[in-house]
Amino acid sequence: MAEKTVQIRIKRQASPQEGPRWEEFEIPYRPGMNVIVALRDIAERPVTVEGKSTSIVSYDANCLEEICGACAMIINGRPRQACTALIDKLEQPITLEPLSKFPIVRDLQVNRQRLFEDLKKVKAWIPIDGTYDLGPGPRESPEVQQEAYPLSNCISCGNCLEVCPQYNDHTTFVGAAVISQVRLFNLHPTGRMNEGERLEALAAPGGIQDCSYAQNCVKICPKGIPLTESIAAMGRAVIKHTVKKALGK
Amino acid sequence: MAKNIIIVGGGLAGLSAAIKVVEKGYSVDLFSVVPVKRSHSVCAQGGINAAKNLKGEGDSPAIHFDDTIYGGDFLANQGPVKRMCEAAPAIIDLLDRMGVQFNRTAEGLLDFRRFGGTLYHRTAFAGATTGQQLLYALDEQVRRFEAEGKVRKFEHWEFLSAVLDDAGVCRGICAMDLQSMEVRTFAAEAVIIATGGNGAIFGRSTNSIACTGSAQSALYQQGAIYANGEFIQVHPTAIPGEDKLRLMSESARGEGGRVWVPRDGKPWYFLEEWYPKYGNLVPRDVATRAIHKVVFEMGLGVEGQQAVYLDLTHIDAHELDVKLGGILEIYEKFVGDDPRKVPMRVFPAMHYTMGGLWVDDEHQATNIPGLFAAGECEYQYHGANRLGANSLVSCIFGGFVAGPSAVEYAKTAAKAEVPEQVFTAEKARQEAINQQFYSNEGSENPFVIWKELGNTMTANCTVTRYNNRLQETDAKLQELGERYRRVNLSDKTRWANQAFFFTRQLGNMLVLARVICLGALARNESRGAHYKPDFPERDDANFLKTTMAKHTASGPKLEYAAVDTSYIKPRPRKY
Amino acid sequence: MATATAETRAASHSHSFFWRRLHSITGVLPLGAFLIEHFASNAAVLSRHPRQNYGEQVKFLNGLPFVLALEILCIYVPLAFHGLYGLWITKQSEPNALRFSWWGNWAYTWQRISGIIVLAFILWHTWTARFSGVSLPDHPFQSFAKMQAMMANNWIFAWFIIGITTVCYHFAYGLFLFVAKWGIAIGNTARRYWTYACWIIFLVLAYAGLASALVFRNHWIYPIR
Repeated sequence: MAEKTVQIRIKRQASPQEGPRWEEFEIPYRPGMNVIVALRDIAERPVTVEGKSTSIVSYDANCLEEICGACAMIINGRPRQACTALIDKLEQPITLEPLSKFPIVRDLQVNRQRLFEDLKKVKAWIPIDGTYDLGPGPRESPEVQQEAYPLSNCISCGNCLEVCPQYNDHTTFVGAAVISQVRLFNLHPTGRMNEGERLEALAAPGGIQDCSYAQNCVKICPKGIPLTESIAAMGRAVIKHTVKKALGK
Repeated sequence: MAKNIIIVGGGLAGLSAAIKVVEKGYSVDLFSVVPVKRSHSVCAQGGINAAKNLKGEGDSPAIHFDDTIYGGDFLANQGPVKRMCEAAPAIIDLLDRMGVQFNRTAEGLLDFRRFGGTLYHRTAFAGATTGQQLLYALDEQVRRFEAEGKVRKFEHWEFLSAVLDDAGVCRGICAMDLQSMEVRTFAAEAVIIATGGNGAIFGRSTNSIACTGSAQSALYQQGAIYANGEFIQVHPTAIPGEDKLRLMSESARGEGGRVWVPRDGKPWYFLEEWYPKYGNLVPRDVATRAIHKVVFEMGLGVEGQQAVYLDLTHIDAHELDVKLGGILEIYEKFVGDDPRKVPMRVFPAMHYTMGGLWVDDEHQATNIPGLFAAGECEYQYHGANRLGANSLVSCIFGGFVAGPSAVEYAKTAAKAEVPEQVFTAEKARQEAINQQFYSNEGSENPFVIWKELGNTMTANCTVTRYNNRLQETDAKLQELGERYRRVNLSDKTRWANQAFFFTRQLGNMLVLARVICLGALARNESRGAHYKPDFPERDDANFLKTTMAKHTASGPKLEYAAVDTSYIKPRPRKY
Repeated sequence: MATATAETRAASHSHSFFWRRLHSITGVLPLGAFLIEHFASNAAVLSRHPRQNYGEQVKFLNGLPFVLALEILCIYVPLAFHGLYGLWITKQSEPNALRFSWWGNWAYTWQRISGIIVLAFILWHTWTARFSGVSLPDHPFQSFAKMQAMMANNWIFAWFIIGITTVCYHFAYGLFLFVAKWGIAIGNTARRYWTYACWIIFLVLAYAGLASALVFRNHWIYPIR
């Protein structure tokens, strides 16, 4: 019996200045493999299916348990984390491409800095007075905790932005992940004190109005965050805040 | 002169140090190989310890202190541990104020669960992704400071070395941009290292890819003392995988999970039988050795494989989702089975680096003036074995000490004008090393060397250690070091070359591996995570001492320092 | 360079929150309300004496006080804004329903396609029915015949079918979007029920519109006069 193998096609790009090209690899199959294992196999023997020596494939990865958010890429047409992409569940040849909504660095590596900058825009933090001992934090009901906790699971992978038709070079849209973070901080008893600032940031250019509710974000989110719910909730909050402010309240 | 402190590493320790430094009026240059939000701290699952005594059990920081010292088999210096345990409740309060979504009781107070090595509900938790939640809270505070211009982030930068002046004082660092591959030096009044553990030395572990120990090793090679390197924690329950051994948190047992193997057609709960007082919540080294015994000596691994069952199926599924959702999801995603319905198959895996850069008791200061260390990369809080849920608190506490200490140092240390030449020389030295890799024409593949390193270290330097095998391991490490000189970069480009960076890190891993191996070889006793069947007892007369490794051209030179046991007298460790 | 483009982008989006929300609400009020009124008036043909009743409707509407002002303020101005701003929004989007074929994404894509079709249809329909041929305000009882004559042409009739269906879709899905974006229904369950409600609104409107249109084709019962 011929040895079982895995076929992988990878879209490669040596630098932002150079054009993309495709390379194909064939590696031995083992049970339980994921895309990361496949990329490591290629690193151990960087030879294409035509027998041509090549460079190892660049990609971002860190925790390998889908909690750091680093290894997002497009696998068989779908943006997702490479670590949870099990070979057994993928159709072959497996195609790997970099996320397309972010500037390319090299191969499967992209620069997602815009996401972190947008978190600054909406002031995604609890403004505490200082780290000295001021006693316990505010009490919170288990119900509110159970509503907020899923929101705080966002790993900033960028998959929701990749699938969003409104997140592109024409707009400065902050995207679903960031809108959902505003909801998280506005749920917190202390964070609520500054909800106005965050809501105003969401009404600024690139804010929540750029969402046209294609609802792709919620379909792709690897952490199952209720993003469309967050957008609806923030839509209401921003309107309320804006109207109140316009009426001088 | 700019009032700035450099912090290398953006996990819990680095970020908490950064916050303290900024509060003291200094600015921070924060370096990290990954965006700080993706640091390995996110992987911590179960929780964070603090004796808040919110369950009416009579818990106190003194008992937390005793549990930690006892769990660490008395190897930790007691002063810092005592201060950490006393600070822990306030740290939880602070995190709570920062907005960490800890699980709550019906009254809206923090909920606590039990963890290994204690009889008290002492562990605050946010589902089973506590590390992630804590890191995010600190990340958000630092982002706020960044927006205010008080923190500059250098993400995707690799630390290469410290810049030391002629007097051996740390004046800054030399680092390399992972994209442009530019080598640059950065001046600072003090430097804090918070670069985490070194799991990559063991090939596969529960650690993230970035946990190579490369920075610690580079500093060790520049003269920093590396302490207790031989103490490596192997976590009893992880999901085996080819790329990573994924942690299955101790909280699974804290919430009632039971470990068993089939024997004579029936479940045998061997931990509960052998350790009736602590049951499934014995410390990690004890649980790990028990599992090894059951699997390797008694041949009772599940279906003859290297696995035991970790069983949650008797617990209500909704309760599991609320308290352990994150880790159940990991098991489902990577194994495909639902742990609410079938017992999980787990096996021990390298997990934590108890040893690390030596630091002093009071200031987290290394032996290099101006260089501080905090978090898993230093040695000080866990002795010979870390208790579950103590790592998060030690990282944050360490950062909270290191930050102000570095500022204090910056204020008081003599302000000599540092000649520019100190920086240019270090930069030239590092660029020469880089050039060496590019011009090498050998035949060795760094990834293959790494695989061999991991296999040999995991086989011989983890759970059970024999002197003859350690000697063989050291010989192997030296052989790998030789082969490393003949490494050929498959990729000689100078833009975002990951093969290059990995190769540089690998060199540092090989050096640090010898520290671990030879430290283990020299320590002829069994203590905490360090277990030698040929020397099964703890030997306080000879080895109640900190191993202090110094780098020399021919390898590590080991010295020993006395351990401070002024608060709790060492007693036999029997669970 | 990158920041410069970001700034230009930001500048072209200033006050976009206000304009986007205005765009959203004009689709419902007054345009949606007018659409319903228009379909209701047209439904006068679904009666025993369509020629007569239709004429009465046209006469009634043209007899309203300030009819021209009403027409301009409640129809033409909001229509021009909704249509033109809608085109600009469409230009900003990069639809990807072929790659990610979830229903919400298709609905999003169709909202843009239907918007363009509806704009073209309404311009044509307003021109041909209101501003050319027989003047309906002056001769309300000739309106039935005017429409009959137009729809006797198969191509024009087909164009009406397309126009009516897409305008119903655009309105019904717009209602869904309005409720979602303004946060009137936040929970997933509430939004799911509202989706069903919008489909029913679509079906009812499309039925009324298409049934009315069919009457104009019934030459054997109502010969063209």
